[in-house]
Amino acid sequence: MSRPDLLSALRESRPAPPPELRERVRLIGSAASAPSRSRVTRRRAVIVVVPVVAALAAAVVLTQGSEKQPTPTPRASVGAVEKAPTLAPALGAEAVPAPAGNRAQRYSATLELRERSDAALSDATKRATEIASSLAGYPLRLDVHTIESPGSADLVFRIPRVHVEDAVRRFTALGTIVSEDVSIEDVQAQVNATSNLIARLQRQLGTLRVEEQTPTVQRQITALTARVQRLQRGRAATLSATHFATVELRLTTESPAPAPVRHAHGPLHGLGIAFHWLWIGAVYALALGAPVAAALVAVWLAARRLRRRREDALLSRS
Amino acid sequence: MGGERRRTVGVTSFADAAERHLDDVYGYLAWFTGDRFAAEDLAAETFERALRLWHRYDPARGSARTWLCQVARTVALDHFRSERRRLRREQLAAVHERLDVPLAEGLSPELESAVLSLTAGEREVIALRIVLELDAGTAARVLGISATNCTTRLNRALKKLEEALVVAA
Repeated sequence: MSRPDLLSALRESRPAPPPELRERVRLIGSAASAPSRSRVTRRRAVIVVVPVVAALAAAVVLTQGSEKQPTPTPRASVGAVEKAPTLAPALGAEAVPAPAGNRAQRYSATLELRERSDAALSDATKRATEIASSLAGYPLRLDVHTIESPGSADLVFRIPRVHVEDAVRRFTALGTIVSEDVSIEDVQAQVNATSNLIARLQRQLGTLRVEEQTPTVQRQITALTARVQRLQRGRAATLSATHFATVELRLTTESPAPAPVRHAHGPLHGLGIAFHWLWIGAVYALALGAPVAAALVAVWLAARRLRRRREDALLSRS
Repeated sequence: MGGERRRTVGVTSFADAAERHLDDVYGYLAWFTGDRFAAEDLAAETFERALRLWHRYDPARGSARTWLCQVARTVALDHFRSERRRLRREQLAAVHERLDVPLAEGLSPELESAVLSLTAGEREVIALRIVLELDAGTAARVLGISATNCTTRLNRALKKLEEALVVAA
């Protein structure tokens, strides 16, 4: 039998299915008219919905976290306070420690204020002088420079200690507070010690004066008298110094440091952040998943090869 | 609404496809197994399984006949595996019980004997390429091999069949 005859014989020998099988398959086909199960099962819906919800939640959390602005930390130390000019008086007065009225104390305060312009700086200088004068104080030093940029003024006032709180409060209203330093030194103990020493020396003087006035005694009286007088002058100078407080006022027109640029975030800013993190996650997944994927592919290829071999072995018998 | 329409079209298509390609599937399985009774059961099982998997069928990737033949092949391979396990259990691996029913009408006894002397794999490729008249690419897709490999298998099978016919003559 030639090859064409063989092929023709084979083609004509197609076995026909029996009628029972036709009926059976027809029934199977008609069963398909019944509503089939939906392809969107609950399990599939969960598999899709859960990762989507998790991704959205992560995006929301990341977005809120990134948009949260750092809370400005108040500079709590006395030496550094910055606040709006309108609030400066009240806050400045509260920040300044009050001197103790019944004790001898050296009180000094340094205020650094920022002015908007050279004109404002000049005006503040005049007003500061007026304030000092109105409180029975006086200027100790006035250095004003408005020609150079930025303009500056260093003012030192002596203000009666009883008015220093009022003075500081009014000075702080002259500009924006950049810094504030207050120094209080209690010298009451030193004054008391000097007074005790003077009293003891005066008792000695009294004793010497009732004795016989020999040249030696007279020299001792002269020396003690001179020493008492020095101590009294020193104590008077100390007490005088404590009656006035030194307030140093530094005014400057130096422009403030540029505020951090706040980017105007659009409505898709969060989406950008989410994609940013997704990109990072994708890189990690690629770096970690590539070897795993390669191993899985190798396993799959090996399994497919094994399955084909088994198939061939299975079909190699008649 | 679109999904409903698509499902309706799919259901109608399955009924049509089952009716249209029953002969092909049955013929393929009969040749593949060499047993018409087994082929009947396997054909019915093929269409039951095809009905369950019909939603996976994509017309863009191949004809319904090709897809049904792939399902039929999977069913037949499962059948072969279960048969092998059964024969091992019964220690009758060397003896394959087959009822004395001709494989197909119109085959001479010599040709049928020669066909049955072929392996299942050889009968399968002849069934797909010659009996069902699938082209090499489609048959290769059903077999899960390359078209070249499919053609090679067919030539070997036909040569072996011719040799078996010569011996029988």
